[in-house]
Amino acid sequence: MDNTTSQPTADQDHSAGHSHHESLVKGDLSFHDITEMVSRHTEKKTPLAWYVAFGLASSMAGLLLLSLAYQVWNGVGVWGNNQPVAWGWPIVNFVFWVGIGHAGTLISAILFLFRQKWRTSINRAAEAMTLFAVMCALIFPTFHVGRVWVIYWTLPIPNQMEMWPQFKSPLLWDVFAVSSYFIVSLVFWYVGLIPDLATIRDRSTTWLRKKVTGFFALGWTGANRHWRNYEKAYLLLAGLATPLVLSVHSVVSFDFAVSVIPGWHTTIFPPYFVAGAIFSGFAMVVTLMVVARKIYGLENVITMDVLEKMNIIILVTGTIVGFAYITEFFMAWYSQVEYEQYAFINRAFGPYAWAYWIMMTCNLISPQLFWFKKLRRSIPVMFALSIVVNIGMWFERFVITITSLHRDFLPSSWGYFEPTFIDVTTFIGSFGLFFTLFLLFLRFVPMVAMAEVKGVMPEADPHYYDEGDGRAAGTSVPFIQPAQEDPGRNEAGETRGGR
Amino acid sequence: MADSARSNSALGWLADPLASTADAAQRAYRFTSDRRAYLAPIAIGLALLLVSLVGLASNASQFFYSYFIGWISCLTIAVGGLFFLFFNHLTKASWSVVVRRVNEALVWAFPLLFVLGIPILFGMHDLYHWTHEELYVEGGPKYDEILAGKRGYLNTPFWIGRVVVYFALWIYLSYKLYVLSVRSDVEGGEGVPAKLRKVSAWGLPVTAVATAFASYDLLMSTDPHWFSTIFGIYFFIGGILAAVSLMVVLLASFQRVGGMLEGVVTKEHYHDLGKYMFGFTVFWAYIAFSQYMLIWYAGIPEETLFYKHRLMHGWEWHSAFLIIFHFIVPFLILLPRFTKRSIPTLSFMAVWLIVMHWFDMHWIAAPTQGAHHTFHWLDLTLGLGLFLIFAGTIVYRLSRHSLIPEKDPYLGDSLHFENV
Repeated sequence: MDNTTSQPTADQDHSAGHSHHESLVKGDLSFHDITEMVSRHTEKKTPLAWYVAFGLASSMAGLLLLSLAYQVWNGVGVWGNNQPVAWGWPIVNFVFWVGIGHAGTLISAILFLFRQKWRTSINRAAEAMTLFAVMCALIFPTFHVGRVWVIYWTLPIPNQMEMWPQFKSPLLWDVFAVSSYFIVSLVFWYVGLIPDLATIRDRSTTWLRKKVTGFFALGWTGANRHWRNYEKAYLLLAGLATPLVLSVHSVVSFDFAVSVIPGWHTTIFPPYFVAGAIFSGFAMVVTLMVVARKIYGLENVITMDVLEKMNIIILVTGTIVGFAYITEFFMAWYSQVEYEQYAFINRAFGPYAWAYWIMMTCNLISPQLFWFKKLRRSIPVMFALSIVVNIGMWFERFVITITSLHRDFLPSSWGYFEPTFIDVTTFIGSFGLFFTLFLLFLRFVPMVAMAEVKGVMPEADPHYYDEGDGRAAGTSVPFIQPAQEDPGRNEAGETRGGR
Repeated sequence: MADSARSNSALGWLADPLASTADAAQRAYRFTSDRRAYLAPIAIGLALLLVSLVGLASNASQFFYSYFIGWISCLTIAVGGLFFLFFNHLTKASWSVVVRRVNEALVWAFPLLFVLGIPILFGMHDLYHWTHEELYVEGGPKYDEILAGKRGYLNTPFWIGRVVVYFALWIYLSYKLYVLSVRSDVEGGEGVPAKLRKVSAWGLPVTAVATAFASYDLLMSTDPHWFSTIFGIYFFIGGILAAVSLMVVLLASFQRVGGMLEGVVTKEHYHDLGKYMFGFTVFWAYIAFSQYMLIWYAGIPEETLFYKHRLMHGWEWHSAFLIIFHFIVPFLILLPRFTKRSIPTLSFMAVWLIVMHWFDMHWIAAPTQGAHHTFHWLDLTLGLGLFLIFAGTIVYRLSRHSLIPEKDPYLGDSLHFENV
């Protein structure tokens, strides 16, 4: 069934009154086209390229597994962490990944509350990416505890030893903050998936596929009552997830900021970490989406306008982060506390100056290129910059962690921190896990929220069909055609998906 | 009907840079109330300032503190209004078009605030401990090593220079935003949103930097040993909350008392403004909590002293009041949907939050004059007096032009806006 032929006329008529609103979906797509474009990637025969990519990613994930096994067998000493740099790469990687894991829920929850309809084309993938990034993040503290087999001791479970976690420690708050964030993000992602899973179920041609997707679709029929409950649940979850997005990285910043270590203890940390997290998370979404939209032919859904908006957010958050660096520097001087002053001068001009200036260049200076419309709408530029940003954000955490620790209050223990081979393989391996999970997502889950995209298309307007007595404006062809016999891929599946 | 908006006379420029365009405005959008709407608050405000002069004679130090607290409250509201205007332009918000003129009238408060700031120069010695010369006499009994260390930044000429630069910037940007928009009422609105967006784009980061440093210079340095990197955010977030609240108060009084803008500004717009009030209430609490939490937990004496002063000699009640009535109560009241859509409730909360913003500024500045000082009658007369003059001139500007940017291309969307 194809509505596209009769659509352009209707489209023009309806957009006449709102000429300044650019449509979010390009290329005169119908609801059915959206379903088709997105669903087919979960239904078609797996392409060879996917297997190649998956093989590569899972080998890297294997490297992670090997590194962790080696670390568990030999102990935390295989990493570069040592006094005074007791927190080395593992915490850097943890904060790096948690930061990336901020974009998805921000896009789905906060942008939803702000009625930013352009979010619909990327929220699904961004949320998936968020979940995977948080998983990667959790690996590092989990293994850093040393005896990973008793990691459940971090939870306040009553036990015969009368042993409780240290509630005064921000590290414990992290356990609560990150795990609540993960759970709420997962539930939010899943709730959003339900209508699309039903679409996939209705399109299924095999028994197994129908059963599996049917199980997860929770008996969704697209009934009015279902939509009503769904939208209420979605709004409530968005409201709950919004403070969580802010709280997670605020609590992560507390890991550093509640201490008395110069360079760590500064009050701007919570909002500045949140801005940095959004910055890196959006950059990762751009990296992934630029590739995915090309490979999966979704350029008309994940449009250049959407990417441009992402890039503007990268520009804004990058500038906020950069200004926070400058504020810290100024305030260290203004405070007249000699240790603070030393910490910052050492950062910028000491043995790790190279890392500091990489951070400054990548995070503050390079995003300024996005002031130019031409550059923020250029695929190669945004792809390169999004990677530069994440390099910069990794270095930010490196600078914060290492430079403040490597010269502590006891000059006799000063030294130059260097990571070990296992540090490097663990970190590279975490990318393997991330990409493995993301590839599985692309293969098995509708990567764009079809129902939500349909909801922001002009056809979703209740008055869209007003003209022409229920017929397409200007033609005598009925716009809504009667359902056909074929139960597999018919209009019924479409109206269920749409809203 | 004039086909272009002329500039105002040199003196009137302080209150409004443009000559009145009210005659050109459509009837439905015209200010129809009489002159008392702005003359009364300005007159009462001036009277209160005159009464306060008695206090200047008897207790000059207290006068300057009270004056400064009133002035900085109005200034932060204007800064907050400027940010709110930037955000709306940059995000191409269409819902806010019908409430935008009130916001624009609000930001042209900077020239007046600049003039009203001049008396503070005479109270520098009372307000700013770092201006005392004896602190810098090496070997002297009052020599202060820390303040001597930052004298390169905290010294009167440089301080005045910086404040002038901040005001120049704020005035320039608000001039651009105000004049471009008001002129469009007469000259047509095509292409104006793009121009406004352009100004906002470079204006936002520059204003953010200026505002952060203004917060250190004007407010944080009243306690010159103390420092907090988050202070700039605290300063602006309280201001933006009060600015949105002031917009609600002005709009509600125009509609309910003046009978203007009927059917133009609807419940839907109040609902959105209410959401911002709620959001910024929470954001203020987040920033205030972050600052307190980190300083309390680390327990470094040079930082904790700030809170120690606010937790003794009666100030602990102020601190508790701030938490309860600047956060908990507004949070609970503004959370449900119906309170944001009830104009009486929302206006009450808006007045409440403006008072709490002043209370917050008082909580920061007043203890620096000595921990035993809490409230003084001058706080009321000067705080209210300055605020009435500040608010009265906003109404004055609004009376001279259309109450909404009536030729804005997005106006249709804004008029039909509904919360979904």
